[in-house]
Amino acid sequence: MTEDSVSYKPLNSGVTLDKLKKREQATGYLFILPAFIIIFVFGLFPILYSFYMSLFNWRVTKGAFVGDSNYLLIFGSWTNLLITLAGIALIVAAFWLWDNAFKTLKKGEQIAKIVGAVVLILGGVVFVSGWGQMYDAGNKAFLNSLMVTLYYALGTVPAEILLGMILAFLLYQDIKGKDLFRMLYFLPYITPSVTSAVVFQIIFSRRETSLANQIIGFFGVSPQKWRFEITPLFNLLGANLSGFLAGPSLALVTIMIYGIWSFVGYNSVIFLAGLGNIPKETYEAAEIDGASKSQMFRHITMPLLSPTTFYLTLVGFIGTFKAFNHIYVLSEPSAGDTVVTASLLIFNNFYKANQYGVATAQAIVLFVIILGLTLAQNKLMGERVFYG
Amino acid sequence: MDKPAEITSSEQKITRGKRSAGQIIGRILIYAVLIGGAIVFIFPFLWMISNSLMTLGETATRVLLPKVPQWSNYLEAWNQAKFSKYLYNSVLVTLGTLTGLLFTSILAGYAFGRIEFKGKSILFGLFLATMMIPESVTLIPNYLLIRGAILPLPGGSWLNTYWALTIPFMANAFSIFLLRQFFSQIPKELWDAARIDGADHMRFLIQIVLPISKAPIMTVLLFGFTASWNAFQWPLLVTTNDKWRPIMVGLWAFVQEAGPQTHLLMAGAVISLIPVLIIYFITQKQFTQGIATTGLKG
Repeated sequence: MTEDSVSYKPLNSGVTLDKLKKREQATGYLFILPAFIIIFVFGLFPILYSFYMSLFNWRVTKGAFVGDSNYLLIFGSWTNLLITLAGIALIVAAFWLWDNAFKTLKKGEQIAKIVGAVVLILGGVVFVSGWGQMYDAGNKAFLNSLMVTLYYALGTVPAEILLGMILAFLLYQDIKGKDLFRMLYFLPYITPSVTSAVVFQIIFSRRETSLANQIIGFFGVSPQKWRFEITPLFNLLGANLSGFLAGPSLALVTIMIYGIWSFVGYNSVIFLAGLGNIPKETYEAAEIDGASKSQMFRHITMPLLSPTTFYLTLVGFIGTFKAFNHIYVLSEPSAGDTVVTASLLIFNNFYKANQYGVATAQAIVLFVIILGLTLAQNKLMGERVFYG
Repeated sequence: MDKPAEITSSEQKITRGKRSAGQIIGRILIYAVLIGGAIVFIFPFLWMISNSLMTLGETATRVLLPKVPQWSNYLEAWNQAKFSKYLYNSVLVTLGTLTGLLFTSILAGYAFGRIEFKGKSILFGLFLATMMIPESVTLIPNYLLIRGAILPLPGGSWLNTYWALTIPFMANAFSIFLLRQFFSQIPKELWDAARIDGADHMRFLIQIVLPISKAPIMTVLLFGFTASWNAFQWPLLVTTNDKWRPIMVGLWAFVQEAGPQTHLLMAGAVISLIPVLIIYFITQKQFTQGIATTGLKG
């Protein structure tokens, strides 16, 4: 600090403490004002406005007020939604019973398990019937897109976690070129998703000479249509199933392969940081006590890594509900609705079909789902996870 | 106490000696998995580069490598497919966004970290809550806003303008959160000393806080850069012609319009990736560390 750049303002000359506090407050508000304006205008206000739009028959321009019609288009009726939600609540209650109930009773654990199982089955039945009614009376395209999103989440998140953990664990060993490996693994994650998705588009094309077909041909598998294949995976493998159990279409599986490829590196970097946070002394102490490597892995590494695992699972799950870019690029119109996730459907309803009111209602429902997942994450993070 | 210690250490030496054969096999396995993983991760990149140097005919017959590298593909993509224009747009959009982002998040991060004011925690919570909002919800109203359909805007519609691509991204909760965490850990003594010298918050921020905050600011810049460079959904909506179309939308438009020109498409993909790679290789440590420390918080 140069002497002349400091303008001297003695603090105590006539300035009361109250005035100082007020000036401090004003500075605070002034400092956050620029950020607040942008976040409010483009982040908070649109939620309220989306809700407002969802109450109208809005197609490019505002039409008549229709109340909850756009929502009824989705669910069929509010009763259907309530039944489905009750099913979910019962399933949650079953797990709560399993863990917490009857602990004070003798044989409490067994009773809790029996009661929990009964409630779980009941919840499942209620949920399935509620969902079935919604599916019959409501918007099949949107409900289907939620199932596609669920497939996508179930097909990618566990694989990403497992592979990320394995790679992180291997990288954590005393090996040469650790930094190089880490850098290479991370490359897919930092690559712009449109760029890499465009490359995957060509690798997984339906041509017999496409790279993907050449690779499976090497193992004696006949060429596939990949992004264009509408047949569910398990049926391709010879089963004859229908509905949710038939599995995702091969087209969606192709997008899952991309998702896993691009995200494993991120998970392994986070796991690596998690491993680094486990104190070396813990392992040394266990070694002195005669613990084997696999025992140490089961009783030290896994529990101490559980916050990271849990965090990555939920962030991954929520992320799949938001994912857009690579799904948009990799989805082929001829794969039909088997690749249309919720975020994609909302975009198409808005951008291609100009159904603004319907699209905003669906977006609000998606938002509530993500909100629910986030709240569940916060709650479970506090209860279930072992903190070292 | 001495004897047992000696025994365990000599025992350890013996077991270590015995293990070594198995350990060597184990290490070979570890390297095999790690190298196999690395190949899977980078193969699409190598394939992309190889295809970008092929003739159109070669890309269809799938030879792994081109006979003669066609460097002219890059020239063609650069000029005819307008990737030069898209790249230029993306650079300007990214620079503008980052300037605004730094300005807003440094000020807000400082206020949330070091100034007491009423409603601070509520406001901060409100900011953080925006991190989980899916783009699907904000997209439609923001589009109407930019078109001037909600409020009158100077110049009518902002479609195909620089402002539509930059202003909405000039602040985000993540950057503010990151800087707040760092700023709030600066010792109070520094502020007390500065105040005795007559400095106010702004002077303290510029002359003391910023020079010691290079690391978190760098992280904010890196995340801001990737987000801005990779942006796709929003620019796709608000650019309907080439005037401000950024590179990711340009690449997608090329897929739509040029169809089977795989060799040029791959050249364009390489061009779109080069700036990211340069920045990644320069700041690699910072990048992965930034992710590792901040990723745990979201």
